[in-house]
Amino acid sequence: MIGNFLDQFWSLTFGGLSLGFIYILIALGYTMVYGVLRMINFANSEVFMVATFATIIIVRDVYKFTQTSEYATGFQLWLILGTALLASMAVAGILSVLIELIAYRRLRRMNSGVLAPLISAIGVSMVLAETMRILTDSRPVASPRAMEKKFIGKFFDADIRLDNTIIIVAAIILLLLLLTFVNKTRLGKAIRAVSMNPNASKLMGINIDGVVSITFLVGGLMTGAAGFFYVLKYENSSFSIGFELGIAAFTAAILGGIGNIKGAFYGGLSLGLLETYASFFLGTQWKAVTVFTILVVVLYTKPNGLFGEALTQTRA
Amino acid sequence: MINLRDKGAEIWEKANRPQRVIMAICFIAMAASLPFMGGTILNTPIADYESVLVFPVAMFVLMAIGLNIVIGKSGLLDLGYVAFFAIGAYTMGLLGTRTSLNTWEILPIGIAMAMFSGIILGVPALKLRGDYLAIITLGFGEIVRIVALNLGTLGRSEGILGIPTPPPVFGIEFTFDSHRIYYWTLLIIILLAIWMVRRLSVRRAGRAWESIRQDEDAAELMGVPTFKYKVWAFVLGASVGGAAGVFYASKTLFIAPDNFTLQISILILACVVFGGMGNIWGVIAGAVILGYLPDRIRFLSDARLLVFGLVLVIMMNLRPDGLLPRKKREKALPSKEKS
Amino acid sequence: MSSPILSLKNVTMRFGGVTALSDVTFDVKEKEILGLIGPNGAGKTTIFNVITGVYQITSGVIEFQGKSLKGIKRYKITRGGIARTFQNIRLWGDMTALENVMTATDTHKRSGLVGGLFGSPVSRREERRDKKRAQELLDFIGIGEYADRLAKNLPYGVQRRLEIARALGTEPKLILLDEPAAGFNPAEKVELAKVIRKIRDAGYTVLLIEHDMSLVMKVSDRVVVLDFGQKIADDVPIKVQDDPRVIEAYLGVPEDAS
Repeated sequence: MIGNFLDQFWSLTFGGLSLGFIYILIALGYTMVYGVLRMINFANSEVFMVATFATIIIVRDVYKFTQTSEYATGFQLWLILGTALLASMAVAGILSVLIELIAYRRLRRMNSGVLAPLISAIGVSMVLAETMRILTDSRPVASPRAMEKKFIGKFFDADIRLDNTIIIVAAIILLLLLLTFVNKTRLGKAIRAVSMNPNASKLMGINIDGVVSITFLVGGLMTGAAGFFYVLKYENSSFSIGFELGIAAFTAAILGGIGNIKGAFYGGLSLGLLETYASFFLGTQWKAVTVFTILVVVLYTKPNGLFGEALTQTRA
Repeated sequence: MINLRDKGAEIWEKANRPQRVIMAICFIAMAASLPFMGGTILNTPIADYESVLVFPVAMFVLMAIGLNIVIGKSGLLDLGYVAFFAIGAYTMGLLGTRTSLNTWEILPIGIAMAMFSGIILGVPALKLRGDYLAIITLGFGEIVRIVALNLGTLGRSEGILGIPTPPPVFGIEFTFDSHRIYYWTLLIIILLAIWMVRRLSVRRAGRAWESIRQDEDAAELMGVPTFKYKVWAFVLGASVGGAAGVFYASKTLFIAPDNFTLQISILILACVVFGGMGNIWGVIAGAVILGYLPDRIRFLSDARLLVFGLVLVIMMNLRPDGLLPRKKREKALPSKEKS
Repeated sequence: MSSPILSLKNVTMRFGGVTALSDVTFDVKEKEILGLIGPNGAGKTTIFNVITGVYQITSGVIEFQGKSLKGIKRYKITRGGIARTFQNIRLWGDMTALENVMTATDTHKRSGLVGGLFGSPVSRREERRDKKRAQELLDFIGIGEYADRLAKNLPYGVQRRLEIARALGTEPKLILLDEPAAGFNPAEKVELAKVIRKIRDAGYTVLLIEHDMSLVMKVSDRVVVLDFGQKIADDVPIKVQDDPRVIEAYLGVPEDAS
């Protein structure tokens, strides 16, 4: 078994990394909102789920690909991938902003504590997942393959697959864009200001509601991109994937320290790798249990994650 | 909006003891006579009316009462309540098919198992902040289901078949289709649970939970052993869930991991939130309505979860106290006071 | 005035790089009213927080009746005989005034959850006794007529006093009052001063944080002055008032002499 593992180490690592980047992007949807509102954006998992369907619809219904179509190549391929990515991001971004408006904003104004927004968010998740279940007849939906998953090179003995490469490269570009946005632009700085001290920011004339909306938008865009990458990698989706991926991404956010972009990055990568290696030994059916165990262990032993703030602070 | 609970409480408080006994008897008689209403407007077009009364209605009521101890009384968001239901059901399934123990003997064992797992989960989890508790409990619920799905002893995805019905009591037979008998038995369990919760609510434990829900730090600084009471709330909630599970398995005769999904936890949460967190009558009303309506109104039965999700969002935003809110009343000031 | 009931020895409290208390040493003697004053941010509430176990001190010793409080759980400190009020009122708003006090009196009950469930005679007797005791305390503080009102609907001044009654409900030996007169008008302050003396005369020891100098000077037996987390004076009120270091600490500092 160990020998097998070493044989496959690099190909597992490569797959784990691309899964890790998907986690990072979803984790950003949790972590950015948490940074600003100190609230678990529970519905983010379903935003991700909806985004995967946006990608499938673009490939299947807009570009009319079927299971038997020829692979797209060259410019056409990049056009399809680009449209699907942008569409998923847009859908997720807008949905995320709407969710904040409908389900959270009022409660935030009422200062309703921790429970109420969480319950409201669970409600939203349920509505999204159930709507999708009814629309898809409770069945998983396969995405037609527009791109050939060819091997584009070798690293040690492992084949490097095109889809994994695209995911890693594109995700890195998105993360760099996000960092530039947060660190260099006015809006990004406002987000950071609010997450450090909401009251002072309000006094300084920052429009808190605006900043919150932008935060949800950006978190949604990242989560949407993850939806696209997921379909690119696994070529299917289902109304129920939000839950599993969402919890994993949330774990990644906690692992790195929630509320912190760097934390999402390290947390996502570590979890992607850990989960892939663990699945190799334990089998994929225990994947969710592995993730939860990691979550529980981290919350008890290192509740601040690797980079985060203290979670168990007293208010007295 | 009129506060129905206040009206009810007012009538109750004005009544003397015999009047109260009469009211309670009328109420119980009404609940007990529900199975005879099958021919009326109450009839359910989709499923058999009497079986609907047992599951989901009565079962939801029981579980909602249990979850209400956790979330309504002490303000702990438990998203994995289904785990205790599952543990009760699997205890019944395993012991019922492998040993000669009968339902009534397994019932306390199932409750004890659920309470024990409540401690195992609660002791570490209750040290965490509220929203993290929610996630941890959610995880626990899923882990229990995944374990059931992957362990050979528990029958994997096929579950456990041929679970025995309860043996007769005083010559009353429990057969597969004697829904009424199950309903009435459940009613007794529900009444016991109500008794337990009411008993605890008016005394020290009730005050401790209430203080924890409203301001946990202040409670601890006023000498309330908050952690102990949180664990107690968790464990008592688990015991009710476990009892429901044992009974459920002994009624359906067949259980599988698919019966114990996250959705059940959320359905029960919706019942509690809809009815009014913290107020036992509200919670019961919520569970009856949300348990019953999807089987009464045809289009709701497909979109059950969708509607429940909407209920959560709408209630939280527009009427966060639920249908029948918890105590809001106070006695008027005496007109002439002297201290 | 006799032996110390509470003593702080070289207590230092740091939050990250900020030193909130630096080497603070003082005693609270039995059955005295000790005033704790100082400009804003001097570390007064931090003292309360380290005594009641909200924060663990960085170094030093806090002893209550000769025993160190180090590592003792917060609710056990309260049960051991130290109770407090909060500067920003933290009552349980959805409970009545009486219930607020009863929750505190529950601290010393013997009957547990099971006894309560089956209505054991002990539990029933305790319930009656506690109700009576809670009402007595409300009367003692002078807010008896509000017993059945929800805490959140009470007038501000009554809420402040209810905080005191609730703290007394835990049967403390030492009670810590955190700005009990905040927001009071002069007449209410006079009333409060009487209540504080009455509490002491009933056998409790009082440690009082208060911004209003005249109230502190009038009611305290002794005053400890903090500035920037350090003790700068510890004496009877009349001497503290004339202490040059105290005057300096307060001069130029915007003092809200409300």
